[in-house]
Amino acid sequence: MSEPFPTVFADHASLAVGDPVPPLERTIGLPDMVAYAGATWDWHRLHYDTAYVAEKGLPGPIVDGQVYGALLVEMLQDWLGPQSFVHRLELSFRNLVFAGERLRCTGTVTEVGSDRLTVELKVVAVAEDGADGRAAAAPARAVVLLGTPDGPGAG
Amino acid sequence: MSLLTDEVRALEGRTKVYTAPEPFGAAAGRYFGLAIGDANPLYSDPDYARAQGLDGVTAPLTLVCETNQYAALPADHEGYAGHTWDLDIPHTRQVRGGNAYTFHRRIRPEDVVTATWRITSVSEKVTGSGSAMLVVASTATYTNQDDELLAENAETIIFVELARSGTEQA
Repeated sequence: MSEPFPTVFADHASLAVGDPVPPLERTIGLPDMVAYAGATWDWHRLHYDTAYVAEKGLPGPIVDGQVYGALLVEMLQDWLGPQSFVHRLELSFRNLVFAGERLRCTGTVTEVGSDRLTVELKVVAVAEDGADGRAAAAPARAVVLLGTPDGPGAG
Repeated sequence: MSLLTDEVRALEGRTKVYTAPEPFGAAAGRYFGLAIGDANPLYSDPDYARAQGLDGVTAPLTLVCETNQYAALPADHEGYAGHTWDLDIPHTRQVRGGNAYTFHRRIRPEDVVTATWRITSVSEKVTGSGSAMLVVASTATYTNQDDELLAENAETIIFVELARSGTEQA
């Protein structure tokens, strides 16, 4: 389930190295995975077919790794608002995430320039006690352009 | 035994090109936003998007990098109907390494996207546990009908020797 889109965003002029990005958490249920499979035209059975993944010895359908990238972009845009543009996003995959698990996306500002900032990011599966569990994507990093709703190729 | 055979080395430079049969459309971005749970009105509210300086609604940034929508390929036995290099490396399993996306501008509904994939390098490494692994690096460039560069995607796929494997990612 999505949360309402924010109406108040970070003050770009006040951003500083070390600032945390407000985290984004989302439980990825099987219906969400079916919806994502449809939205991306990716109908691989690993992402929704419980009998098929059981045959493979997996604990459940596998969350598509590209979901992590989509959530990281959402987290950054929800924080910085529509006058920002995620120009670069890099992520390394670490561990599988399965249907029904909760993902936690976090980030910290590592560089601030006049028109952009760099953020170190991480995606983890949330453990049963609420702590960070195994890493889903780490390291990860984004460069976000500030003061513009679109990228350098917009013309 | 080395995984980096002459046949595998010959993969470097291999290219595949997929052009969408129609414009991207506004519904694709709105649907992706709903599916992922991203309520950003840039994907659904043209008045809001225009107030921010855009021509109209756009799509969530990573959607353009989901190549399946352009590929027009039949589904295989596992239901997959998208881009693949059809690599069959015996006695290995495939692991996703990572992606590095560069977004040059937001997608517009009228964009007709072409995805051009190219294998940039094939190399062999050894895991910490001593297993051989083959690292296949490829890039995709996404352009539109006017040859405008929309996005780039550098992807790493790893084939890990089955005998002594490490972690896995689909």
